Amino acid sequence: MSKQSRRSEFLSEVGNISAFTGKFFREGFKPRYEWSELFRQCYIIGYESFPLVGITAFIMGLVLTVQSRPTLEEFGAASYLPAMVAVSIVREIGPVITALICAGKIGSSIGAELGSMRVTEQIDAMEVSGTNPFKYLVVTRVIACTMMLPILVVLADGIGLYASYIGVNLKGIVSWNLYTTQVFESLTFSDVMPALVKTYFFGFAIGIIGCYKGYFSNKGTEGVGIAANSAVVVSSLMIFVIDLIAVQIADILGLT
Amino acid sequence: MSTEENIVIRTEKLVKSFGENHVLKGFDLELNKGENLVVLGKSGSGKSVLIKCMVGLLYPDSGLVSVFGKEIPKLTQLELDELRTKIGFLFQSSALYDSMTVRENLEFPLRRHWMHKTKDEVNELVMEALKNVGLERAVDLMPSELSGGMRKRIGLARTLILKPEIMLYDEPTTGLDPITGREISNLIVAIQEKYHTSSIIITHDMECAKIVANRIMILIDGFKYTVGTYDELVKSDDPKIKPFFA
Ligand SMILES: Nc1ncnc2c1ncn2[C@@H]1O[C@H](COP(=O)(O)OP(=O)(O)OP(=O)(O)O)[C@@H](O)[C@H]1O
Ligand SMILES: [Mg+2]
Repeated sequence: MSKQSRRSEFLSEVGNISAFTGKFFREGFKPRYEWSELFRQCYIIGYESFPLVGITAFIMGLVLTVQSRPTLEEFGAASYLPAMVAVSIVREIGPVITALICAGKIGSSIGAELGSMRVTEQIDAMEVSGTNPFKYLVVTRVIACTMMLPILVVLADGIGLYASYIGVNLKGIVSWNLYTTQVFESLTFSDVMPALVKTYFFGFAIGIIGCYKGYFSNKGTEGVGIAANSAVVVSSLMIFVIDLIAVQIADILGLT
Repeated sequence: MSTEENIVIRTEKLVKSFGENHVLKGFDLELNKGENLVVLGKSGSGKSVLIKCMVGLLYPDSGLVSVFGKEIPKLTQLELDELRTKIGFLFQSSALYDSMTVRENLEFPLRRHWMHKTKDEVNELVMEALKNVGLERAVDLMPSELSGGMRKRIGLARTLILKPEIMLYDEPTTGLDPITGREISNLIVAIQEKYHTSSIIITHDMECAKIVANRIMILIDGFKYTVGTYDELVKSDDPKIKPFFA
């Protein structure tokens, strides 16, 4: 493929995703709302990703603590360990790792599900039965992702911090009271808020891209695989792009 | 015979291409009220495309498609949805919703009317539709637990549940054994008699065509080649018609 056509393909993809997002906002606020499907999706997305997110957060918290100790000890700052770990988990590691795991798990499953519904004409069947498939399938999934990701991130942060408490106590003794005091003293509004706000955007990006890839998947079983795969690739990339933009905005607003 | 108000679906000079692939090149069709019209054509000749244009799943490049006198491409989304409740569409692949049970599949088209119906009424409609296709026992199964023929019949029950005035069948008997195929064909005739539906049936299966057809239309190279009853066409010596009845 020539450079030219690859560039125009990239641009048309960006255009299509923007149009798809625009349609989400147009359709999403018109009644009738698909409440029961929304709750079902929230349950699926939240509940089914939680074990994976929890295990990863636990390991990350533990590993981060154990690995940071030698460096801090070198500077005679081992007592700052809880504070340092808390800030890194809450500001960056919790949101980004959780979002990446969800991009892998939720993004691919949405891409594959909608892709196979497209291929087997189930989306067409919804359309001819007078139900708006965009509303029923896309709007509910995108909203569910947007709402559930921040909750998953908060849970992951909590689990990560608890794991870090265990990590701190592997060598040396810090009581739970002292640990929590140190953690909460180190965390400020400007650590928590921007981190929380960006997770909504992470969730939205995972939902929109998974749905877009599935909804417009190509005919054939091959198309389903491609939809699932590219949903993961593109939404993971989007997470880093959003992270980059978020850090700039937080910087401009003085939330550092 | 076909006076103006008797025609429920009409296409005139229907043209549809996908890029360089010119599928329909000016197709004319009239479906009369209460009749079963069979459309024959080789694989890939654009039969599915034709009926998808009739429900607004695809839009023609030019030409006219009208259902109950309404031009499909000119309708708003709301009007189109309203019209679609009067049209049943049986997909070639059955298109059952994988993630839902048979019951939920059948309830799905009723969603638009839910506020007017009690739970018992919905249940009654579901069981009646299943009875029509003889599969009441499958009500709590998942689509993955059904055989191909059962899927076809559940798909049929799902389209029948709104008692449509028009039925569009996309290859209802393809991929089934001759016995099940005959059952489906008889079912199509029974539906016509019971609900007075007007139907277009797309098929390659000559036995099905023989059982269900009031008229048969042959689609060749994007045009209507000929139309007639089964008995007329089966006697034809035309080298383009003969292969269909071989
Ligand atoms: N959505 C689409 N995009 C591009 N091409 C399409 C699309 N739908 C159908 N076609 C093309 O239109 C032609 C006719 O397809 P169609 O599905 O109508 O055939 P058919 O007559 O129903 O065949 P079969 O008996 O095998 O079902 C095919 O060449 C197909 O490749
Ligand atoms: Mg077809």
